[in-house]
Order: sequence, then C-alpha cells, then structure tokens
Amino acid sequence: MGKLDGKVACITGGTRSIGRAMAEAFVAEGGKVVVNGRDAEKGAQCLAEMGAGDNADFFAGDASKQEAVEGLIDFTIERYGQLDICCLNSGGVQNTAPVAQMSDDEWQLEIDWNLNHVFWGMRRALQHMIPRESGRVIVTSSVEGKLGKPGIPGYAATKHAVNGLVKAAAQEVGTLGITVNAILPGLIETDIVRATGPDSAVAMGLGGYDDLIDMFSQESALKRPNKVEEVAAVALFLASAAAKNMTGCMFPVDGGTMPY
Amino acid sequence: MGELDGRVACITGGTRGIGRATAEAFLREGAKVAINGRSAEKGEQALAEIAATGVDPANVLFIPGDVKTREGCESIVNGTAEHFGRLDILFANAGGASNHAPVVDLTDEAMQDSMVWNFWHTFWSMQTALKHMIPQESGRIITMSSVEGKVGKPAISIYVAAKHAINGLTKSAAQEVGTLGITVNSVCQGAIETDIMATEGPPAAEAMGLTYAQLLDVFAQESAIKQLNDVSDVAEVCVLLASDAGAGITGSMISIDGGSSPY
Repeated sequence: MGKLDGKVACITGGTRSIGRAMAEAFVAEGGKVVVNGRDAEKGAQCLAEMGAGDNADFFAGDASKQEAVEGLIDFTIERYGQLDICCLNSGGVQNTAPVAQMSDDEWQLEIDWNLNHVFWGMRRALQHMIPRESGRVIVTSSVEGKLGKPGIPGYAATKHAVNGLVKAAAQEVGTLGITVNAILPGLIETDIVRATGPDSAVAMGLGGYDDLIDMFSQESALKRPNKVEEVAAVALFLASAAAKNMTGCMFPVDGGTMPY
Repeated sequence: MGELDGRVACITGGTRGIGRATAEAFLREGAKVAINGRSAEKGEQALAEIAATGVDPANVLFIPGDVKTREGCESIVNGTAEHFGRLDILFANAGGASNHAPVVDLTDEAMQDSMVWNFWHTFWSMQTALKHMIPQESGRIITMSSVEGKVGKPAISIYVAAKHAINGLTKSAAQEVGTLGITVNSVCQGAIETDIMATEGPPAAEAMGLTYAQLLDVFAQESAIKQLNDVSDVAEVCVLLASDAGAGITGSMISIDGGSSPY
C-alpha cells in the first residue's frame, strides 16, 4: 500500500535534481509519473535510471514555453487517463543581473520560466481537476519568494508572484477537493544552480560560486544548503491524502532562513 | 518499517484531541510515546483505548502532571527520557485559554493563565528537552501554535499573544541549535473541534459576541476549504517534521489551516 496508489503526477523539469527526487518519491509510493525536460537524451537517461517501467514516462519540452507546459499536462492525461498531482517545479535564471543592468531578454525569460509556466500549467491542470473535484497542485517556489537578494531581482520577483498565484488559486478551488500549495526551498545545489550559480554569484557581487553557497548556508540555522530529498518528502506529503486540508500554504524547506 | 522506528517522543497533553492523534500517528510509525494529562483517570482511559488499537502497551506511557508548572513540565519530559532511555521528539502540545475578553476588560489573571498554559509550558518543556537533545546532537521539537500565532481576532488576545510568543521562541531556539541536528518548528493549525475547543469555545464565542456555532463558522469561512481542520491533519505534519525527511525544516511556522493564514 503506497501513499499515492493509483495517482498520476506530472512534473515540469523532472529529469534531474528536485523534480527527479519528487518523481522517485511518487513512484516509490505507487504513483505514475511523467517527467519533463528540454533534452530527450536526459529524459531517456532519467527513465532508465528510475527503472519504473510503465509507471514513468518522459515528455520533452521547454517549461518556459506555453505549448510545452500545456503539452505535458495533456500528454499525462492521455498517457495515464487522468491527472491527480501537478508539480510545477521547473525554474531558474540564466544571465541574471542587478536591476540597473538587467536585459529585457533575461527579464522576459525569467517571467516566462518562473511565473508564466506556473500559470499555464496550473490553469490547464485545474481545468482537468475542477470537474473531477480532486487534485493537488504543488509549486516549487523559493526562499526568495519571501525575501530578496541583490543581483537576482527577476528570480525574487517571479517567486513572490508565484506565491500570490498559489494563494489566490487555493481560495478559488478550496471547496472542490483541490489543494494548491507552494514549497519554498532554501538553496539546493541542483544542476541548474551548478550551471548558472557562478554567473549569478558575480551578478550578486560575490567572489564566486563557493561564496554563493556559503552566503545561503550562513543565513540558515542549519548552516548548510538544503537537499533535494528534503523537498521531495514535502511534495510527497502535500500530494498524499494526509494533507487533504492543507492549502494555500507556503511550506518552507529552508533550514530556518525565512523569518515568517 | 516506520518513519520513526526507535524514536522516543514526549507529548504534553495527549490524552485527547490533537496530542492523542499525534501520539497514535507516532506509534504507527514505530516510535515509543509518552502522553500526559492532569487526570490519571483520563490517562488510563487513553492508554486502554490506544492498546485496543493493537499498539504494544510497552510502547506507550502516561505521565500525569500539570503543564502549568515548571516542575510538571520537567517531570513529564525527564520522565519520558528516564522510562524509555532517551528523548528524540518533544511535541509541546498542551494549551488553551479561559476567561476571554476584549483587551480593555481583560483581567491580569486571564492573561497570566494563558501565558503560563501556552507559552511558559512550551518554554519549560523545550528547555528541559534541549538538555537531553544537545548532548546527543539530535532531536525534534514541535511547538503548538495556531493560525492565531500569525493573525489576530478580537477578544481572544490572551490566546493570540501567547501563540505569537510561542512562534518567536520557536524561531530563536531553531537558530540556536540548527547545527546540532536539532530542529524546532511550530504547527499553526486552524480551528479544530477538540475537547478543549468544546470547553473553551463557547465562552470565547460569547466574549466575541457570537454563538459557539457562529464562532466555528467564522473559522470555517475564513479558510479556503470552508470547513474546520481535523486532528489528523496536524498529526501527519508532526510525523513529517519528526522524521528523518524533516531534517531540513527548522524555524518554520507550518500552516495547517485550510488556507486561512495569509503567510
């Protein structure tokens, strides 16, 4: 008896890191999962490593693009007949900069990737969940959804926006058996962070990647980054029956960083 | 394989309501659990009911004691550690408030009683538990706050102030022991129809100019789910926070309120 027996989930950005840990946690509890990523090769590798057979599939697409996000949801429903859990997990920055130096292109990318992607996915998922009067929407926000740091204005702004979207949507569907929650992780050394962290550190006025990791670690009570498994455990909890009455919640997984 | 195999938990209160549901959830996950209350009779009854669910009676203990005294809190927490040989989890669950009134009419006694029952009890229990947890460099402390630990309602300031204070204590303690493998979090639940609520709710409603049914409806209507929470909602979050998977969560005020709190 798994906690997600018979449930179907999709996860934007699920081939590695946080999304991948969510996928593995869901499958281990009896769920079926479609993960997403831009790179078909990484998708195939992910499925091979997960070894979940028919219980996992991959949908290729860029989560900053509307057709990819909506396509993932439609594909999941087609593949497994329903959608119970929609994890809008993808996000990040590419060439972040302080506001005064921020390019329009980077700004637009971050809006599309971190905010619009969540809106597009949530809207499509709710259109499926509302008639069924059941569902879970889980958004990967960030500690930066409550705080702000220099050099990552787009990330902070979009994660704040996502939190507002989650709160409003939760109020809309609260009596329909659908919960909408955000998880707010502290820094985690994901593939995305390793890839873009060095440049972000420069934009933030830090010496380098190690200083970035150290800055986030030191502002926490644990004095360390968080781990993907810690976020996946909360996602599993929010997806399970045990969390049926938790909604509109900003669930911190940040080692004691946020003051509220 | 439970998520709390081999762990020892102490729950202040715990013969009924949220504490009891949490005790049963911890036992289900393999923990040994001490529950507490003032009445030995209610304690015996709780133990009998828990045993009837198939739990090994050796895994559960009742410690009588009054959480409104330092000695009571120390004996409950230390008694758990002495009986089971260690202490991994404290759930400072007891609390409530009597003699509500608007601030202008509030008595010192009512404020004092609420602060002792909710805040001082949490402080005394936490301090005693930390003395076990800091040397072993591991532990989980969960404090009982409320949605009223984040927001406020008229005429229940004794409760609101005490629950806000618990959240402050929780945040500071989390910062103190964060590198020692000890997490400190609070649960902020919406209204639940527990025994305490049934006892203290009607006079609180009266102080607010409402009937008891209207009071419950106020709480339900301010949520997104338009209903009250269940004791199991809180119990399952406590399992998550107490488990290995909760290691990265500390200093957090976890809302279990059906979407009531704005943050």
